[in-house]
Amino acid sequence: MDSMLAVRDLVMDYPLDRGVHRALKGIDLDVRPGEFFTLLGPSGCGKTTTLRSVAGLEVPTGGSIAIAGQTVFSAEGGRVVPANKRDISMVFQSYAIWPHMSVGENVAFPLKAMRQAGPQVRQRVALALEMVGLGDYLDRPATQLSGGQQQRVALARAIVKDAKLLLLDEPLSNLDAKLREQMRVELRDLQSRLGTTTLYVTHDQEEALSLSDRIAVMKDGEVVELGTPQELYLRPRHRFTAQFIGQAQVFPCTPLGANGAGYRVDTPLGQLTAGVNADQGDRASHLVIRPEHIQVEPAAPGEATSGDNIVAGEVVAVSFSGKLVEYRIRAAGTELLVQNLSTSLIQAGDAVSLRIPVERCVLLGG
Amino acid sequence: MATTVLEPTRAAPRSNWRQSGAWMPVLGVGALLVWLVVVPLILLLISSVRPTGFPTDPGFTLQHYVDTYTDRRFWELAGNTAIFAVGSTLFALLIGITLAWLVERTDMPLKGLVRTMIILPMATPPVLLAIAWVMLLSPRTGEINALLSALFGFEDAVFNIYSLTGMIFVEGLSLVPSTFLILSPAFRNMDPSLEEAAMVSGAGIGTLLRRVVLPLLTPAILAAGVFLLIVGFVVFDIPGAIGLPAGIFTLSSRIYYLAHENPTGLPDFGQISAMAIFFLGGLILMAFGYQHYTRRASRFTTITGKGFRPRSFKLRGWRWPAFAGAAFYFTLAVLAPLAILLWTSFMPYQTGISADAVGLLTTDNHETFFSNRFAVRATTNSVTIALVAATVVALVSLLVSWIVVKSKAPGRKVIDILSFMPLAIPGVLIGLALIYVYLTVNFLPIYGSIWIIVIAYITTYLSFGSRTTHGVMLQIHNDLEDAARTSGAGWGRTMRRIVVPLAAPAIAAVWVWVLAHCMRELSSALMLQGRTNETLPVLLYGYWTGGEPNKAAAVGVWLILALLIVVGVWQFLTRRREA
Repeated sequence: MDSMLAVRDLVMDYPLDRGVHRALKGIDLDVRPGEFFTLLGPSGCGKTTTLRSVAGLEVPTGGSIAIAGQTVFSAEGGRVVPANKRDISMVFQSYAIWPHMSVGENVAFPLKAMRQAGPQVRQRVALALEMVGLGDYLDRPATQLSGGQQQRVALARAIVKDAKLLLLDEPLSNLDAKLREQMRVELRDLQSRLGTTTLYVTHDQEEALSLSDRIAVMKDGEVVELGTPQELYLRPRHRFTAQFIGQAQVFPCTPLGANGAGYRVDTPLGQLTAGVNADQGDRASHLVIRPEHIQVEPAAPGEATSGDNIVAGEVVAVSFSGKLVEYRIRAAGTELLVQNLSTSLIQAGDAVSLRIPVERCVLLGG
Repeated sequence: MATTVLEPTRAAPRSNWRQSGAWMPVLGVGALLVWLVVVPLILLLISSVRPTGFPTDPGFTLQHYVDTYTDRRFWELAGNTAIFAVGSTLFALLIGITLAWLVERTDMPLKGLVRTMIILPMATPPVLLAIAWVMLLSPRTGEINALLSALFGFEDAVFNIYSLTGMIFVEGLSLVPSTFLILSPAFRNMDPSLEEAAMVSGAGIGTLLRRVVLPLLTPAILAAGVFLLIVGFVVFDIPGAIGLPAGIFTLSSRIYYLAHENPTGLPDFGQISAMAIFFLGGLILMAFGYQHYTRRASRFTTITGKGFRPRSFKLRGWRWPAFAGAAFYFTLAVLAPLAILLWTSFMPYQTGISADAVGLLTTDNHETFFSNRFAVRATTNSVTIALVAATVVALVSLLVSWIVVKSKAPGRKVIDILSFMPLAIPGVLIGLALIYVYLTVNFLPIYGSIWIIVIAYITTYLSFGSRTTHGVMLQIHNDLEDAARTSGAGWGRTMRRIVVPLAAPAIAAVWVWVLAHCMRELSSALMLQGRTNETLPVLLYGYWTGGEPNKAAAVGVWLILALLIVVGVWQFLTRRREA
């Protein structure tokens, strides 16, 4: 079995007053066993629809879905396994903790639904609650929980079932910033301990980068790009990926020719050598540089700027935010942003030289 | 972004109802509604074009329509019904709006007590209210007329209950609790920041009321108005108890008259049906109007958050006069009628309240009520009917709401409309249509039994029940149900363990409300009256029209007592749900 979840050509149409809205335009995904896989994209991109289709809460219009080698949905074969018969569990954005049950009853529900009874249930519930750090909350009414605790109960309820596939729908988005970061660490921890294959949906790129083994970036019902966090951040192949994940400055460019280090292009900043996607340099139309990858230094007076990928400029404005300093710099008639650590500071109006590492210059095709 | 709207977590769930095992209840509820609502209406329509007026007889004629609609008396009847409905609606709105404003938005004293005083009259069956007011205001023997004549020496009676005005007065009184219950949430939920924003913008009290408060309340008031209008058109109790003996007819009492006391001796079903079709058309239109306005009203109230205290208007010197006004309403709607009923129930024959009559006091009527086997049977019938109908309505309402609000089942809009339509069908017409149905079909021999009345009540109260459960269904987040499904629970377990417990308070409130209304409902039970299936209100109406007011009063006193308890429980449940 090579993939725990296989999604093929998934299509979803919603009827509108006039015509249909195609929310999913042929999604293909393969999630490996034990993998933490994230669907990342802006709201309306179809990531939640994809997740809910995998869960069986929505019935797609076309395509097929297989979980652990078992086909749970096939438009062609007319096969739809209902949500309760799929080997999955799910955590909802709203937590969906049942208010009329205690914490223990909430967590025991999936086991009861599987017709289990007796001391085994108590044991597994206690274990699941232990794992999310709520060991003492068994008899607490669900209504007396904080947001973070509800989140943990929802997690416990999802892992108690021991399903093959864990589905998480923006589970952290309703928490405040501090708690979100803490839960992120715990979630990653829990997942690697359990080794459960996880499909995660979020619009938060930072969350996606820090949690995932692999990420599928989605836009308008399509997967734009798929890769590991490092690949998507450092070597994006699409402008949407570059701009949606992290901050990206995009400059138009014209290809000049390959050289030893990469591919040489002409940009508004002058001629630069780009090391990423150089193999397709002859088709490059844009150059992407991230603000934090540019090193800024005070220009030595009287010394001409020379060398590869070094650009002379002048600081227009400085914005200090503690750990980082952000400079707005004018160079060759263009403005660009540079982020450096606040180790050293440069004043507005100072002349600077910018060093742009070849291996951080990304070429994108049209 | 336009596509955000289509993010299905926020839209209604597209649950795969076919696969989830939910198709059985969907089909079942659909079939039940067709049987309860569509079949009777179709038979009504067929009956109107049969020469004999009976659905299974052969032939086709439009003569009933011609006869009905060319008759001047029909248009007189329509006019009377309209005057009665509009008059009682305006009267009830006037009192209801004033009371709702006083309770919700002013510093009137003893608000809790006032609220109870306004809702308790629900326990008085309209037919009893009518009987009591006849005892108080009839031109010859009316207690108040006699008192006024004695005090001021009037020659003639000051008031005459046997008039359209009299009927409007009593009907208006009986509609006030419903008006109050519909309107008070609108007054309560009005976001004070909207008013404050207007005042900060420089609006005076007059402008504030005219430009901000009234427009915000308009949908709720219109919704209440249309609802009251529908009730005014369909109600039988008061026109039947006051107007019928005096020959002042409205739609419902005329239909009853033609069915039971037709001068020719035989019910004129063809003419009744032809007449009914006209009103049904209008009423169903009004029902849709009502639905339209309630949607707008809820849109206006749900945009506001919770956790604010509305500004309360300072009444200053008017605090106690305002309380006295509310107490006066309570006197008219409960105290005075109950007093005269109590007095009459302890008298051997109808006689005015006086010191001389105290010697006549007797408990005979009450003893009769508890020993007479007809009375005992009527009580058993009423309680059985009420318990069964209330339980069925509560369960079916829940299913209907789940299908309409939560599922994506095809045809759910039809189910919504079918469950709502009976609101606009007069009880006498439901009774009439059920006579057609159960005289036509032979496989259900329930004609003349209590079960045909149970079916009539289920049909009648399904609209109230399902509207109430709609509300609570909307409040249950879709994720709660989805979470059960992804936890491995099928449709049945999800309903049993998640949906029903979460909706329990609303289900209980519906159950008790229907119970109370089944105990007091007269019209369809009267139409469906057989030899052994009479209910308490039917027994009471029989005593009253048979010239035994004292026995009627004794039955009434005990009925009110039982209903007071039920209404009390209902209010308790409702308030706990709101809290």
